[in-house]
Amino acid sequence: MQLSIDGKSVTAQTGEYILQVAQRNGIEIPALCHHPAVEPSGACRLCMVEITHADWGGWKGLVTACLYPVQEGLIVSTANEKVRKVRAGVLDLLLARCPESELIQNLSRQYGIEKTSFIPRPEPDLCILCGLCVRICEKIGASAISTIGRGIDKIVSVPYETEENYACIGCLACATICPTGEITFTQDEQTRSIWGRNFELVYCEDCGIAIGTPEQLKHYSERSGLDMSYFTKCDRCRNREAAARFARITF
Amino acid sequence: MVKKQLFVTPGRCTACRNCEVACSFVHTVNPMVPAEPRVRAYILSETENTVNLCLQCEEAACQKVCPVEALNRNERTGAIEVDLERCIRCMMCTIACPFGNIQIDVKLNEIIKCDLCDGDPACAKFCPTLALEYAETPNPDPKPREVAPLPPVPWMLFSKPPAKK
Repeated sequence: MQLSIDGKSVTAQTGEYILQVAQRNGIEIPALCHHPAVEPSGACRLCMVEITHADWGGWKGLVTACLYPVQEGLIVSTANEKVRKVRAGVLDLLLARCPESELIQNLSRQYGIEKTSFIPRPEPDLCILCGLCVRICEKIGASAISTIGRGIDKIVSVPYETEENYACIGCLACATICPTGEITFTQDEQTRSIWGRNFELVYCEDCGIAIGTPEQLKHYSERSGLDMSYFTKCDRCRNREAAARFARITF
Repeated sequence: MVKKQLFVTPGRCTACRNCEVACSFVHTVNPMVPAEPRVRAYILSETENTVNLCLQCEEAACQKVCPVEALNRNERTGAIEVDLERCIRCMMCTIACPFGNIQIDVKLNEIIKCDLCDGDPACAKFCPTLALEYAETPNPDPKPREVAPLPPVPWMLFSKPPAKK
């Protein structure tokens, strides 16, 4: 189907969302809670765009591009005055929530906001509650973290914050995907720590570099149906070993 | 139609590493940060050399283990390609591959594997002994072939100029 984004005619498939189509065509829409690997959720409200249609009798509406399915003949504007104003409002609020986040500061500056017009949070962290960490954890199948509490008390956490209830496998996907860098981990030679828990490490049988946590490797083995013997060595050692095997087969 | 495949004949490999250089060249985006090669040449003993690169397994362990479906087969070339937009760098594919042919480029923080250069593998073009060849069937005659000469290297790059004859 054909639709128009900022006056550019683009092609899309049924079931795609505006943001996906725009990104594919090189039209930039800012988004914080979007990642191609997980389902969109419309949490950050930053990807607001204005839509209209020739058949709608002049009706226009503001929608989140990440959640709005494309339709034939849709006319989307991604950067007009109204859109910029509503995004600036969102960023004003985000800046009050996370005044220390460099990402939010940079985005705000692009929309002409140097300082939030609200009272900044007294003890701010970097979490914008976008829920990417929760969604990726669910996608991987661990479902170890979720948002808890409501309103201003809402946070991302492990259940009950006690160690017995941990479903976390220490895979670090949440830390990788976090757009603002709120989720952190530490790793030294013996342990990896994330979400307040210390994980042991599994080492490559040949060279001894850390390849993951036992929980992580077990989870991925069960998830993929591959035997645990697949998860014993690092890529470089496997590569060398396989090369030697190849040569033995053919000489 | 028979699909072209990348054939590896370890017996012909001289571990000259033309393939590694060619691979790195075609995958480099920023010349200041050369890409890691997706193919590796090994000298195993005085008489044994071999190359190792992705075999594009039909039932690929990397593809099975990926939690976000970032590894997908390109139906045209038959290669499994990494979707770096989807990839969350969990590194499980690099551990699960029994041949170690999917790795991480630490400098670029990218998962790298052979993508058959979108149907025109550079390694095969630069292999002088046909240890790597991209064809429908492997060439039974291992006669060395002419490959495109590499560009001349300015001698100032070396500490000592070559001795004159």
